[in-house]
Amino acid sequence: MDSGVKISKTGTRMMPYLAILRHDLGTLWKSRLVRLWLGGTALLTLLLATGNWGRFQDAPLIASLQFPYLVFPWFFVVAVLGVSPVSGSHADSLADGILSRPVSRWEYLLATWSARVVVVLSVYLVVMAPAILVITLANRPVAADSVSVYGIISVLFVVGLVQTFLVSLGFLFGTLLRRSLLAIVVLVFLWYPISFILSIFSLEQFSPVSLSRAVSTQLRQSWRQSEEEAEAAANMQDMEQFSQQMSDFFSRLSGGQPKPRTEKGDFFETKEFADFSLWRVSLGYGLPTAAAVFLAMLSFYWRDL
Amino acid sequence: MEPAIRTEHLTKIYGQRLIAVNDMNLDVPKGYVFGLLGPNGAGKTTTLRLLLGLQRPTAGRVEVFGMLCGPNAVGVRSQIGFLPTNPKFPANQRPIEYLDLVGKLSRLPLQVRKPRISALLRSVGLLGATEQRIGTFSTGMCTRLGIAASLVADPPLLLWDEPTAGLDPSARRFTLDLIRELGKTKTVVVATHILSDIDQICDHIGVMHEGRMIFTGSMSDMKRRLRHDDFSLELEGNNDEIQRLFRELDGVDGLSIRFGRENELLVRVAEGRSRSGMLAEVLKLIDCSQVSLQAVNSGHNATENAYLQLLQEDEAHGFGR
Repeated sequence: MDSGVKISKTGTRMMPYLAILRHDLGTLWKSRLVRLWLGGTALLTLLLATGNWGRFQDAPLIASLQFPYLVFPWFFVVAVLGVSPVSGSHADSLADGILSRPVSRWEYLLATWSARVVVVLSVYLVVMAPAILVITLANRPVAADSVSVYGIISVLFVVGLVQTFLVSLGFLFGTLLRRSLLAIVVLVFLWYPISFILSIFSLEQFSPVSLSRAVSTQLRQSWRQSEEEAEAAANMQDMEQFSQQMSDFFSRLSGGQPKPRTEKGDFFETKEFADFSLWRVSLGYGLPTAAAVFLAMLSFYWRDL
Repeated sequence: MEPAIRTEHLTKIYGQRLIAVNDMNLDVPKGYVFGLLGPNGAGKTTTLRLLLGLQRPTAGRVEVFGMLCGPNAVGVRSQIGFLPTNPKFPANQRPIEYLDLVGKLSRLPLQVRKPRISALLRSVGLLGATEQRIGTFSTGMCTRLGIAASLVADPPLLLWDEPTAGLDPSARRFTLDLIRELGKTKTVVVATHILSDIDQICDHIGVMHEGRMIFTGSMSDMKRRLRHDDFSLELEGNNDEIQRLFRELDGVDGLSIRFGRENELLVRVAEGRSRSGMLAEVLKLIDCSQVSLQAVNSGHNATENAYLQLLQEDEAHGFGR
């Protein structure tokens, strides 16, 4: 009896959060942006997978599919989704429609942030999970690869975490700058030179480009494999294939032929891409994500609507 | 008795540039229909937003039923039903879905929410539009839906901002009747610049001008301040006859007469004299004259005149304000 009352109280307390979450999920799902993104990402994944079907082993092929999510072009879509809920004309209607009701601002922000994260991760997983399944199970005309379940899950986790961070960053800038367009422009100018900025502070392993280079290695990690073993598992073939993927990717986007390969850069030679720690990356993206959400809430709390 | 709304030295300044609300002290007792009156830009909407915690005061404090207002003052907002001017709704939702969302935001359990939504849709006359998406609604239907949304949680205080803006006469009549009805059980604050609305529904008013509350009191207090004409007579006849009638009326003890617009006489009854008795006297004289009476307007513009007079006085006070 008592526990029933407790559940009911919790349910009542959570009711506004769940209502906004559900409402936002419905609105986002019906939005053109999300539908176009879903179609676009499915098409691009199909093109990349079929284009490299007979050329790459499992790990490099799966890694090539992560690149659009980590670097380009889906960063832009994810950022726009993050920016929209608390900026521009949306702010007025949300003030009148939702925040004039018995809802605290943090409840509203947390619910809209959760809705965006759920949508972004759903689109990613809906496309990626079947693609990875097909790649790993299909009998392809390439040498067998040692992709592990742990490796796949950890890569999905890392890419998901990066996207969650991007949503949160968009959320923060949307709250701080109020104008959607301005927030997006600032995000683009901040995100694209991020590898360069991180390298200044010797944090290159956290850059999206470094992460996408490390994906092949991570996919071959087993549950018990140590970081040292992971480093040893890296091979030059992955690096070359990865470079080729990037080149092919941009050539395909521009509609041209793949460029002839140039010699590797210094980053490849140092094997730094293999210096990948799931724990450090989780902290490296998890903490800024939490900080971005917290700062967005703080900024929104002080803001007039 | 604790007032429904209390503000103390409430001040709101936007970006160190615009003073929207200026040192406002206001008490709205429970159970009143309170009209917040003022020209556009007087600070009415800002005051409502400060009450809701959507904006933070630059100085001073706002209390609703003794609770301090602020961005996370959920307890305060659970006591308030807010209707914004020209409310905006999710265009692709249907009325029941929207009201259900509002009910959930107010933490109403399903057993309470659903019957109340049905009853409200019936009350505001939207029962026949439950299949329609809100995006297809007219302004009047949107206002009705906004009214229903403000009543979902059955709050004891209603803050309605320009509830009759953009409504056709029948929708306007419906809204005013509803306010009058709700005023029997709830405290209602209606912010508007439409004087006739205030005249019909409010028992107390506050007049705002340039962010300041320049008058608070009962409607009768406000009208008493007016140097008003008790009634006006619209006449038809030739000028000589009207002039003669003017002289006759002017000779009646307790009446003072002056010309208004063309063929209009403004009649003022002296303090302590029977208004009906004096009117009977006037009508008798008209009947005996060669002038025909087109219309008698009694106290028609009293509120408007009192309001304009208040604004003029406030402007004229200069540093004394």
